[in-house]
Amino acid sequence: MAALNWKIAGAAGEGIKIAGLIMSKVALRSGYFVNGYTEYPSLIRGGHNTYQALIAETNLTAPQIKLDLLIALNSDGVNLHLNEIDDHTRVLANTELYPNQRALNLPMSGMMKNTFALGASCFFLNLELTSLNEILKESFGRKGEAVVTENLATAKLGFDFAAKNYADKKFPKLIPANTKKQIFLSGNEALGLGSIAGGMKFYSAYPMTPTSALLSYMAKKEAEFKLVVRHAEDEIGVINMALGASFAGVKAMVGTSGGGFSLMVEGLGLAGVSETPIVINLGMRPGPATGMPTWTGQGDLLFAINASQDEFPRIVLTPGDLNEAFSAGRLSQIWAQKYQLPVIIITDKHLAEDYATTQIFNSTWQASVETLADTSHRANNDPFERYADSDSGISLRTLPGQPGGVQLTNSYEHNRFGYATEAAAERKTQVDKRFKKVKTVMADPDRLKPALYGPKEAELTLVSWGSNKTTILQALPELPEVNFIHFPWVWPFPQKEFGELIKGQNRFATVEGNSQGQLNRLIRQETGFAIKDQLLKYDGRPINPEEVTAYARQFIK
Amino acid sequence: MPDNLLNKRTTGVNPTWCPGCGNFGILGAIKASFDQLKIEPQQAVVVYDIGCSGNMADFVYSYGFHSLHGRALPVGAGIKLSNHSLKVLNIIGDGGCFGEGVGHLVGIAKGNHDMTVLTHNNFLYSLTTGQKSPTTPKGVKTPSTPEGSLDEPVNPLGLAIINQATFVARGFAGDIPHLTQLLTAALSHRGFALLDVLQPCPTYNQDRPYNWYREHIYKLEETDYQPTDRLKAIAKTMEEEKLPIGIFFKESKPTYHQQINSLKTATLISQSNGTVDLTSALSQLR
Repeated sequence: MAALNWKIAGAAGEGIKIAGLIMSKVALRSGYFVNGYTEYPSLIRGGHNTYQALIAETNLTAPQIKLDLLIALNSDGVNLHLNEIDDHTRVLANTELYPNQRALNLPMSGMMKNTFALGASCFFLNLELTSLNEILKESFGRKGEAVVTENLATAKLGFDFAAKNYADKKFPKLIPANTKKQIFLSGNEALGLGSIAGGMKFYSAYPMTPTSALLSYMAKKEAEFKLVVRHAEDEIGVINMALGASFAGVKAMVGTSGGGFSLMVEGLGLAGVSETPIVINLGMRPGPATGMPTWTGQGDLLFAINASQDEFPRIVLTPGDLNEAFSAGRLSQIWAQKYQLPVIIITDKHLAEDYATTQIFNSTWQASVETLADTSHRANNDPFERYADSDSGISLRTLPGQPGGVQLTNSYEHNRFGYATEAAAERKTQVDKRFKKVKTVMADPDRLKPALYGPKEAELTLVSWGSNKTTILQALPELPEVNFIHFPWVWPFPQKEFGELIKGQNRFATVEGNSQGQLNRLIRQETGFAIKDQLLKYDGRPINPEEVTAYARQFIK
Repeated sequence: MPDNLLNKRTTGVNPTWCPGCGNFGILGAIKASFDQLKIEPQQAVVVYDIGCSGNMADFVYSYGFHSLHGRALPVGAGIKLSNHSLKVLNIIGDGGCFGEGVGHLVGIAKGNHDMTVLTHNNFLYSLTTGQKSPTTPKGVKTPSTPEGSLDEPVNPLGLAIINQATFVARGFAGDIPHLTQLLTAALSHRGFALLDVLQPCPTYNQDRPYNWYREHIYKLEETDYQPTDRLKAIAKTMEEEKLPIGIFFKESKPTYHQQINSLKTATLISQSNGTVDLTSALSQLR
């Protein structure tokens, strides 16, 4: 598992993220797998920013703490990362400006110090300067020839400086693999592409970290995929506009974080009672209220499951990696249509904004799925029964413009025609009809089920959800006595499959990015099965593989 | 295809409004206007807000979406973007449009989303038994303001004009032929049309019965007023002694959906199904 852990740290506005993305692409095209990890404050200029790229011979799924190469663009770049470096770490800084005993001098200055650092990094990591040049041209081409030329020259200066002064500090070359079928992307992009693959045509949002980048991605793809992307006036407008688009027949999605989701909750209930398909991406960050905008957390699980007054069926997904984010995006579009209910996809800042390599997704997808009634034989003067009772709970629907299908979709409790009702029997029929969908949904052939990773039987079984999957999978090889149950779907709760997975296991611990153990509570609520031990982290940082390993070892004899 | 030449306009559900409610006149104007424009029931979507006006959802025969309080406009705008071949009419009250949902009015008017907003303005929250609304004049005593409202009222038409609405008019629920003309003009307008309707509420607003309105309104088209100047139009909205009815402002600008590349040649819904090819998007991720 040979790998080199590279990091660049400096002030916001110094081009940290772009440098990190360029470094990652150079590594990918040179035959390596990359796991990217960013930290930044909710500031445009001045705060401390970092980008870490774990460059590896095999696909490592989570960031590691110990660094091999640290590029510090200022004093904080070293001082805030002392726990990540050891004697082996090469620390590079402009020691004339930022004297530091621990650092090797790299005379970076001016606007392009990040490019200078990239050139030097290529030398240390045995990456070809030509490969860096190729990515620099792609990244800065639109800024004009002069900018490209200057960047290429600066990268070469950095490379040559390192070669001349630090020939003995170069790392052994990693063995390249065939990474031609690998792509490098963020969770936001994976989810966005999956949604497009599932036929999403309408995306509305209001910017909020960590899903703002998904809005930008969708907007960038609007023309290519013939989408309509709308940055609406507020999150209430966002969800209601998407519900309008969905009612009129296109697959619609919204993206937000906890604060925006709070504003959307009445609209969520409207989707529930009116049985209007909608997909909601809830990208979590620490809260409540404004919280810690640019950090990560998993505090919204029970909120997503319970949000809105009264009761209606919904699907809640908790993808754990890029591949699951793509699948969740695609399948949500289909399920929302098929079952005419809201589907909530929960991600977090770590999954949404961090980048990694993954096997390329299939490029061609069939997006058609309809639950439309054929009304060609119906008289246009007969109101259509929008909410007719059925065994599956699903009522075929019609779309505006369709003759013979004239119907009312209603936020009031309604009768089978959609007209408002307060009659006891009609109310009960409709509530029961909606909840029949739960059984139908649970029989879906593509449903994402909880899965067991690692040995079939183990001394300790870790149980978790969401982005912790990548972290725990990376820790498992160090823990032969431990296995792991991951939930990519939490609601309706997969009671039967979970019951089968825990049979024969010995001891359990849940792993979550919140302070109260929300999956732990959910499991107890839905199964009566109590798990006593929990690894909980809620400081805004993702759980590290090292923390999982240390935690699990206390239970191993 | 229509079953007969006369389109069905109402359902079998009997209206639940109080006797003498201004909503009867507005419903009459909607039926007449749809007839004049030969809109078939499947070609229009009426989006209803919550309130006495929204209860019209059960009575009008067309595709309908009965939404949440204050949220009709974003629903209507979403419908239009999904299928811009549909005629979209929003039925909303003064509370929903100028109070709970005023942010949507501002956000959607300025984009010139192609739909009509018909506000049933009775100056009160009548469905909840007559509390003050955003348009209630200062000093009026209501159940939520027993000492008299301290707020100055919103100027609905001025708000729409300032926020770039491209068709702004006021009608009176007691003059169905005139209201029908205005509604037909609003529905025929390409762009965001606000038609604010002075609506008597015989149950809770006894200060302003039909006769009060008849004595306090005049028709703009009977004067030499031209609805082409934004500033003059705003001045007109501020007349209080006598309330003008008619078209205050009208201009022609590209609508929101006309400016979206994906919708230049076809509706979004017509481009919705089939195969999705991610090849080029995936190639950018290396």
